[in-house]
Amino acid sequence: MTPRRARVLGLVTIAVLAVLPWVLARHQLSILVDLLIFGLFAMSLDLIMGYTGMVSFGHAAYFGLGAYGSALLLIHFQPPVPVALLAGALLAGAVAVPVGWFSTRATGIYFAMLTLAFAQLLYTVAYKWRDLTGGSDGIAGVPKTTLFWGGPSLADPHAFYWLVAACLVVSLRACRALTRSPFGRALEAIRENERRFVSLGRDARPFKVVVFVIAALFAGLAGALFAPFRGFASPEVMFWVLSGQALMMVITGGIGTLVGPVIGAMVFLLIQEVLSSYTEHWMIFTGAIFVLMVIFLPGGLVGTARRWMEARG
Amino acid sequence: MTPVLEARGLGRAFGALLAVNDVSMAVASGELRAVIGPNGAGKTTLFHLISGLLAPTRGRIAFRGEDVTALSAPERCRLGISRTFQITSVFPELSVLENVRIAVQLKAGGNFRLLGGRGLIQASERRARESLAALGLSDRADALAATLPHGDQRLLEIAMAVAQEPELLLLDEPTQGLSPEDTAATVAVIRRIARERQLTILLVEHDMDVVFDLADRVSVLHFGQLIADGTPEEIRANADVQKAYLGGAD
Repeated sequence: MTPRRARVLGLVTIAVLAVLPWVLARHQLSILVDLLIFGLFAMSLDLIMGYTGMVSFGHAAYFGLGAYGSALLLIHFQPPVPVALLAGALLAGAVAVPVGWFSTRATGIYFAMLTLAFAQLLYTVAYKWRDLTGGSDGIAGVPKTTLFWGGPSLADPHAFYWLVAACLVVSLRACRALTRSPFGRALEAIRENERRFVSLGRDARPFKVVVFVIAALFAGLAGALFAPFRGFASPEVMFWVLSGQALMMVITGGIGTLVGPVIGAMVFLLIQEVLSSYTEHWMIFTGAIFVLMVIFLPGGLVGTARRWMEARG
Repeated sequence: MTPVLEARGLGRAFGALLAVNDVSMAVASGELRAVIGPNGAGKTTLFHLISGLLAPTRGRIAFRGEDVTALSAPERCRLGISRTFQITSVFPELSVLENVRIAVQLKAGGNFRLLGGRGLIQASERRARESLAALGLSDRADALAATLPHGDQRLLEIAMAVAQEPELLLLDEPTQGLSPEDTAATVAVIRRIARERQLTILLVEHDMDVVFDLADRVSVLHFGQLIADGTPEEIRANADVQKAYLGGAD
């Protein structure tokens, strides 16, 4: 896609996002907010998976840390929501430093297993540390406070929608810039051929740890939005099932495209939403759809669309 | 004058096998040295020892008189030792230009610029284009590396190493798998680059014509040991080498 076409498409998307709250019914808007939050989460996974070639099976841990961090802060101190967002993201990023440091000692499937092990460990902590996390009940009644001290309330559905949409757009742009920076270019080289990368004069591991932490920051931001939006945080938000779904969202949308995983998350959750209202066996169908997509649309929705446009010129 | 590269008593064992055994050699500045030897003689192992991909079990390596035995491969690269691989090793899904550009960037620094850095990228791109031009790959700059024919991929590898402006260039069988025409072209390119950039080159090669055509001096490895060292004429005349390698069976 030409830069100009991409810019037009971006502006159209922002315009659509701006109009939607007036078009959609209240519960539809609430579904949309959910889609955007998980879109942000899936996008963050793409940084390590698509751009650096590290498949993490434990990305939900950082979503969960963000959710718990923001939930606890909002429940106990009622700061403005952006403060809780920052805290949630930083908590996730801080935990990702040691986890990334250890996990990147391994590569491939061993890296994946280490990230999974750390995530399940964190899940167990959330489950067992009842005094802090409320155990399996989680933390309920997380308030949507204000935009800033003395500022407008975010309890209004439109207001919270704007906040989530702004977070997604800003994050997407930041990640896009990251992938185009000297650092981002180095990540792609690591993905393509790590041995060659090392022989060209740099150790790959520091790059991997840094991008792992950055991905955790954005996953934490998504989780930190999730807690006040849904009003709760529970251990499920850091369970391996969510990590697995994040992988499916990224693959559905298109690995290494950033926008793709956002779309992938939306499609994935919409299919789930629609199917689950007809049948309790919806997982069979989402699984089948996923298999078909991997076989017939390699590169995901966005990857396939790009190839199609390139072929047409 | 201090040699650019000096190995002393270099050895590497894999279990009971001594892949490289007590190798001592010195390569002078500006020299084009070839290492030859039959299959399994330890040529590639020697290369890995010099570039730092493998640690020696014995001996020392000095670069410009400085002991680098304890340094990692990336550290040696930053000091000025760049290499190519026997089995083509490029970044397949990146463009030819980006393959070379990243080689420049990794050596030059600024790799942790997370945002912006456009000036850095443009500067490295200029140097990458020069290197591509020197290897005659300019018109392939935008192609994905994976789509290049084998011969051009071999040249791309050399372009990546040359763009790093190393003092010592290690070429591991640069003409491997090339047609006679491509081999001749590659030899010409290597000779020209060596002269223009005043590079010191250590070359592992199978093809005897290439070696005797290019090298200032030749070292012969046999079962991990250096059995001869001299000018191409001396090596051609050496009886041990004849027996060990140059068709002693005929």
